[in-house]
Amino acid sequence: MTSVHAVLLPVGPDLFAVPIDRVREVVAAPPLTRLVTAPRLVLGLFNLRGQIVPLLDTAALLGLPVIDAVAFAVVLQTRHGLLGLAVTGFPRRAMLDGLIGPSELVGTAGTFRVGERVAVLLDPDTLLAAERFGRAPSSEIVAPSRVDA
Amino acid sequence: MSVLGLDQIRELFSQEAEVRLAHLDRLLLQLEQTRNDETLIRSIFRELHTLKGSSAMAGLDQVSAIAHGLEEIVEGLRAGTQVVTPVIIDTLLAGADRLGQAIAGLPVAGLPVAAEPESLPDPPAGSELVQLEVLLPSAADVPPVAPGAAAAEAAGARDVGGVVMVPMERLDELVRLIGESASAHLRVGRMLTEKFGVDPTLNTEFNDLSRTLNELQDRALRTRMVPLSTITDKLQRAVRDLSRAQGKTIHWEVRGADTELDRGVLVQLSDSLLHLVRNAVDHGIEADAVRAEAGEPVGGTIRLHAMQLGSEVIIAVTDDGDGIDTLRVREQAERQGIDTTGLSEDDLLHLVFHPGLSTTTFVTDVSGRGVGLDIVRANVEAAHGRVEVRSKLGLGTEFRIIVPITLAVMRCLLVEAGGQRFALPFHRVVLSRRFDPATQSSVEGRTVIFVEDQPVPVSILADTVGLPATQPGTQAETPAGTQAGTRPGTGPIVVLADTARRHGFQVDRLVGQRDVVVKGLNGLLAHFPAVAGASVEPDGSILIVLDPPGLIQRARQAGRGPSARKPDAAAAGTGAQRILVVDDALTIRELQRSILERAGFQVRVAVDGTDALARLAEEPSDLILTDIEMPNMDGFELTEAVRAHPALANIPVLILSSRSSDSDRQRGLDAGADGLIPKSGFDAGSLLTAVNRLIGQRT
Repeated sequence: MTSVHAVLLPVGPDLFAVPIDRVREVVAAPPLTRLVTAPRLVLGLFNLRGQIVPLLDTAALLGLPVIDAVAFAVVLQTRHGLLGLAVTGFPRRAMLDGLIGPSELVGTAGTFRVGERVAVLLDPDTLLAAERFGRAPSSEIVAPSRVDA
Repeated sequence: MSVLGLDQIRELFSQEAEVRLAHLDRLLLQLEQTRNDETLIRSIFRELHTLKGSSAMAGLDQVSAIAHGLEEIVEGLRAGTQVVTPVIIDTLLAGADRLGQAIAGLPVAGLPVAAEPESLPDPPAGSELVQLEVLLPSAADVPPVAPGAAAAEAAGARDVGGVVMVPMERLDELVRLIGESASAHLRVGRMLTEKFGVDPTLNTEFNDLSRTLNELQDRALRTRMVPLSTITDKLQRAVRDLSRAQGKTIHWEVRGADTELDRGVLVQLSDSLLHLVRNAVDHGIEADAVRAEAGEPVGGTIRLHAMQLGSEVIIAVTDDGDGIDTLRVREQAERQGIDTTGLSEDDLLHLVFHPGLSTTTFVTDVSGRGVGLDIVRANVEAAHGRVEVRSKLGLGTEFRIIVPITLAVMRCLLVEAGGQRFALPFHRVVLSRRFDPATQSSVEGRTVIFVEDQPVPVSILADTVGLPATQPGTQAETPAGTQAGTRPGTGPIVVLADTARRHGFQVDRLVGQRDVVVKGLNGLLAHFPAVAGASVEPDGSILIVLDPPGLIQRARQAGRGPSARKPDAAAAGTGAQRILVVDDALTIRELQRSILERAGFQVRVAVDGTDALARLAEEPSDLILTDIEMPNMDGFELTEAVRAHPALANIPVLILSSRSSDSDRQRGLDAGADGLIPKSGFDAGSLLTAVNRLIGQRT
């Protein structure tokens, strides 16, 4: 069993984790500018040394009740650019090696034991797929074989 | 979903072609082993046939011609007049390579096809239009620097002071970093004032740095500028080839070719300009024979005139042809259910940018692109510009494209609404005026003001973008029965325009005007309505740049009240007519889907007859549009199966065929089809006409 070097994301009562190689940095509650007309899961935009980064509600992304206060933003490097995930407690590093079993929510990749708690590993690529942001799924134009399926 | 642009169609095609070519190669190699295997030959025929159809749809005539030649050879094998020999396989494989080269846009090696040399046009001596497609690179291929630069680099590589070609990304990065430096500099200035009480403008060093940074920014932006002359040759070539093909004598005139604009802007405009000049040749000017018969002087002039005006560039395409007949426009518009009463001549002229009208009436699709003036307008608007048309019957037509010189910096009007600050691109602002209750009235619960004697609806900006309005008194003054969005406030009104409409937006206050360095948002968020981008302010805060056409769209939808939410219900199947598109070619399937969806139909797709029947079992359709040549179950078999099925028997079936032979037509009708559209004559207009004739669009 391979272990995953991860950053733990406390979100309300839950604990999630992202592979550390996807995390660019962590910032303490940045001042946000509301992005009008965006869905609720976009909490706003913040300025990361001149770069404009959207902050997403991690719980809402997973279909869980929205969070009420942002303590930190975990900035991920994605193929669409930088994106922040909002967390409610201090994100610390951990080695995930105790795989307990699979996880159910879309965008997750298994549950792990971390001390006395259970962390759900996030799969940023699935979690941040364009379809989840109201954009039409692009499977139709990826390859003809996909349409056949 | 808008109709696919040619670039998108080509992108779809290249994805599709890659898979099909690989498959074709495999099939050919198999054929060499098994010889005369009929199923294999049929599969090869189908691949070539589909490539031919899709490439024609993508406007790649040369690819289509090569595929056609190869198809003829395979047809010989299929009919048994030829047998599979290693020579035939060689020819087919070489042909497949040529297809690959042509699809990749590479010069095609002139390998003769041994079996039937006459059936393939020799590429270098091909028809004018074929050459046109090959020689005209798409917009994305516009050279990044002046055309002479490459030669200069090659010739003068050892010379000091030569030319260096630099990838655009490096320049973009440079411009970005300079922008960052400038805003950091402003922050330092702020800090000096706030923390140390020093006025930085009294400091020579600080002022020197300001000046240098400004100049640097200016120079850096200039490195991205290219003259219009980088694309005029291509336009001239298009005019020449098309006028020759149509038997017209046309004089081409260019003025202001040295006018510079941002390369990004020019690339965005390139296809639109190409479209406008082709349109001028095709519609503006009559054929020599016609003019001679009418006793008029033969030939015409097409002018391309560019000039810089402030921070904008105006590019005009003018012809001295017949002009646009507004009577005909009115007639066509009314046929499409557009109310033309009270429209001025100018308004009527602008209807040529209306999607339905531009494609059916005014643009013969000279290149098989299936795009009209509505696409031209969309492209120009994407470059933050606008397009205007003037025309005098018998004197000629002028299309004017007006775009900002650069997209990196946009002059904006800054306003405050709902407690948040927003930037409105200045080229979209018609006027801003103080709130005056005496000059506004309420029409059907919507506030209206008069601008240049025209009624313009007014919405509250905060409402439109979904922010709570913060104006004092707005809640209390809400008259009973009026909808949200029409509450009178006391803030100033900014009137914005897109190409067709004007709309007023009431804001809390006007903040001022400023050049804003606009940044695109993260790819995931790039498509939100009404947001054009964002900018980092000197104090580090973020300014949202709004997109006026999107805002107007939103405001109008909201203004229509609860009934405006109907489209969702329609999409769920209660209102829109449902069409099932059946085609094994991705390109054609997607093209049809985009045309039909834009016309308000609800579209599902299936990849062959079997798939179509499965989809119909899930949910019936109001119409089936099917191709003939498909794997598993072809279009004829599908039609027969539909007719034989009690629950489906009454669904109209339209067959789209690239084989427009009489036998096909007869077979289609025998199978029970209601109509047959030849792919050769396929365009959005003919498709919609045929579909509407069968199921009459509800409105």
